[in-house]
Amino acid sequence: MDANELLIFNKGNELVHQNFIPKLDIKSEKIEEILPKNLIRDELRIPDVSEVEIVRHYIKLSKINYGVDSGIYPLGSCTMKYNPKINEIVARMTSFSKVHPLQDENEGALEILYEISQMLGEITGMDGFTLQPAAGAHGELVGLLIIKKFFETRGIVKNKIIIPDSAHGTNPASAKMAGFSIIELQSNKYGEVPLDHLEYALEQGDVAGIMLTNPNTLGVFDRQIKDITRIVHEHGGLCYYDGANLNPMLGICRPKDMGFDIVHLNLHKTFSTPHGGGGPGSGPVGVTNELIPFLPIPCILSTDKGLVCDYENHESIGRIKAFWGNFSIILRAYVYILSLGGNGLKRVGQIAVLNANYLKTLLKKKYHLPYDRICQHEFVLSDKYLPNDITTEDIAKRILDYGFYAPTIYFPLVVNGALMVEPTETESKDSLDKFVEVMNQIRDEALNEPEKLKKAPLNTPVGRLDAVNAARKPILHD
Amino acid sequence: MDFISHDEKTIAEMLKVINVPKVDDLFQDIPKDLIVKSLNISDGMSEPDVLDKMREYGNKNKIYPHSFLGAGCYYHYIPSLVDFVISRSEFYTSYTPYQAEASQGYLQAIYEYQSIISRLTEMEIANASMYDGSTSLAEAAIMASIITGKNQVILLEGVHPEYIEVVKTYCWGQNIELKITSEDKLNDVLNEDIAAVMFQSPNFFGDITDGLVMSNKVKEKHPNCLLIQCMTDPTCLGLLKPPGKTNIDIFVAEGQSFGIDPSFGGPGLGIFTAKKKFLRKIPGRLVGKTKEINGDRDGFLLTLQAREQHIRREKASSNICTNQALCSLSALIYLVSLGKTGLREIAIQNFQKAHYVKKAIALIPGYKILNKKPTYNEFIVKCPDINGLIRECKKMNLLPPLQVSTYYPEMSDVVLVCVTELNSSSSIEKFIKAAKLAINNEEERAN
Repeated sequence: MDANELLIFNKGNELVHQNFIPKLDIKSEKIEEILPKNLIRDELRIPDVSEVEIVRHYIKLSKINYGVDSGIYPLGSCTMKYNPKINEIVARMTSFSKVHPLQDENEGALEILYEISQMLGEITGMDGFTLQPAAGAHGELVGLLIIKKFFETRGIVKNKIIIPDSAHGTNPASAKMAGFSIIELQSNKYGEVPLDHLEYALEQGDVAGIMLTNPNTLGVFDRQIKDITRIVHEHGGLCYYDGANLNPMLGICRPKDMGFDIVHLNLHKTFSTPHGGGGPGSGPVGVTNELIPFLPIPCILSTDKGLVCDYENHESIGRIKAFWGNFSIILRAYVYILSLGGNGLKRVGQIAVLNANYLKTLLKKKYHLPYDRICQHEFVLSDKYLPNDITTEDIAKRILDYGFYAPTIYFPLVVNGALMVEPTETESKDSLDKFVEVMNQIRDEALNEPEKLKKAPLNTPVGRLDAVNAARKPILHD
Repeated sequence: MDFISHDEKTIAEMLKVINVPKVDDLFQDIPKDLIVKSLNISDGMSEPDVLDKMREYGNKNKIYPHSFLGAGCYYHYIPSLVDFVISRSEFYTSYTPYQAEASQGYLQAIYEYQSIISRLTEMEIANASMYDGSTSLAEAAIMASIITGKNQVILLEGVHPEYIEVVKTYCWGQNIELKITSEDKLNDVLNEDIAAVMFQSPNFFGDITDGLVMSNKVKEKHPNCLLIQCMTDPTCLGLLKPPGKTNIDIFVAEGQSFGIDPSFGGPGLGIFTAKKKFLRKIPGRLVGKTKEINGDRDGFLLTLQAREQHIRREKASSNICTNQALCSLSALIYLVSLGKTGLREIAIQNFQKAHYVKKAIALIPGYKILNKKPTYNEFIVKCPDINGLIRECKKMNLLPPLQVSTYYPEMSDVVLVCVTELNSSSSIEKFIKAAKLAINNEEERAN
């Protein structure tokens, strides 16, 4: 495909007619007479480009970009499921898109926020939710601040958080943002949390809690989850559930029943809202009754007078984002839940796990599978035993040549040369079979034509890019 | 409707390959007593039923044809091509472009976004986006603390009250001491232990501060103290001197005005920019331009990832992962659509129209404009009968201005008026009439 579309800044000219602003229809005054000269800008280096040129430029760029609608997007831990189109239609209804966050007469918006909180409560078992966090990592921060506040109000000093080595990188980063230091826990040979190590870490004192994802990033459900949460509670700690991997648990198993006190969800993963090329997402946080007072403000309460917004809660961790969270994302997730219903959600969990196990069973014939167990939503292969020094990166880049997106690579860190595959429930068997076919072919190439992998990708708009130089001499704008 | 393609026969075939008898067997690792029987959520609905239900909810929100409400979320015209471009599913159904070679389109667009934000603000570097203006300001405070190694920051009154609350929460999390003071008293609290001074211009009440005066004031006393400016409606940059020209170290803004619908306040767009010397401490994603390893073609990729959480974990400068990419794409298309000519025109119209309303309101007996500095498209007014004004606005189908008492109870008779290019002269005249009627009604009641 043709590459190197010129930057938009190289287009346009001086006299472009654009039609996006109404004519000024009031009596105006000379700017210089009503605004001090020192406040006025002189030049503005933004081109004037015609509408046709703009549209063609960005359509061309869209054609050299891969999305879920292009094909399988097996990015592990990202849950790249299909994004239903009805979600987009509803989000664009002017009765939602034009509501101002500070207007009254907003009952429709508040009711939706209240109802989806109830639904997420049913799905996770949690007693109260905030919908404010803008993304998963933002939700993690909120959850950890809740833990911090919980102990602060009790006058207890606890400044450490236990995080397994298989955790998402956001976990330790979020814990640090909430002022905690981190105790990293090594997973055992089953990819699970070793109870003896856990107890040892807790006995060192000052541990506020643990952050876990279950199933974990190896795609494995921790069989001792009830013991883990019990032990943490016995030592006076709280248990945080990273909901990035909730998809396979939908309608199957609930974080609160596992013993968790706090959970964040990624609506852009589990609840089908589009990933948008990296966002916007939404990261609601659910808590047990005991922790409800600490949720961020504002909270929506159901009273005799209808829904009211509570800004006055003094135990709250405070505000964590302006206004109400990413409402139009929450709206899409609400539409998704309505469309699927309780039974549909359960089927999502089931088929997500079926698809992952099917793919795993077929791929492990030719690739090393370090944790060979029934998996949940995802599984992790590695580049161990590949011939001719072929690496995970070579495999990933070669997958692009076949017109698919690559799995998550070099994560989780507990597996060297990891290839983390999450197909999601919305891939058909046919799509999975094609992916297996490509992976098998690449495995054969690794043996017989290794150069093809080392030079890959060869069929993409650009070849493998020089990341080292890019970081050494950063060029970040034109 | 569950968006799943398998029929029962396919499922049976797949189970056979996996070599388990039933789907339930795939959940054998889960303790039996944890398995949920069923969710207490109604059955799935058809598309037409969902749409009907959503329309019913939508009808419970009142949408006004004209608005005088801003306060951090603004109604500006969105060119049709913005939604057209962001609706390309190659863009909106993709994720963070980890595989650069299959994501060149989006990466180039983000590079263009970083470029256009740098050009608009004249700041040396811009990241790929943050969640919103409020969290950008909070992350800027943290960044300043990391850069200077100091844990006190000053925030000047006039920052959006919700932003102040967010900064408070983040600072508490990081054990950073936050001091809130007025511009007049800045000199008294500014000392060498301060990491940064944060201010908003145009501020929540509409006042424009000359950034250069502010930076001279701060830097003369403490050259190493960082100056952070925030902004809630950056359309003003079509007219006002950009932060890059006034020695601002970190500039953040809410970018919702750039082609993003209000949608009850989210998603917005966190614009985050800084001087180049702080590059390696900036939070969030950065897209860079580079070349092929084995060729000459230019390409784009995520760069300087060693700052980020997925590499550095607890040593990262921020925990941000998912950002607001699609919103930054909206902003890019918006800014390109308007071009420099349009951006100037829109800023001038916002300014002129707000100025017109301000003058007209000032002439009505009983009203008093409270701003002491120049303003852009927002200003504050003391009203003789605030409830009357709100009522009259609604009667005329105008979304009323913000009652400032929402945030500052002591300012019980003050409104924050916002006028944009979308306020036609007829809506403006209605608003002025509403202001007049509000007093007359009060007089009638008094009589």
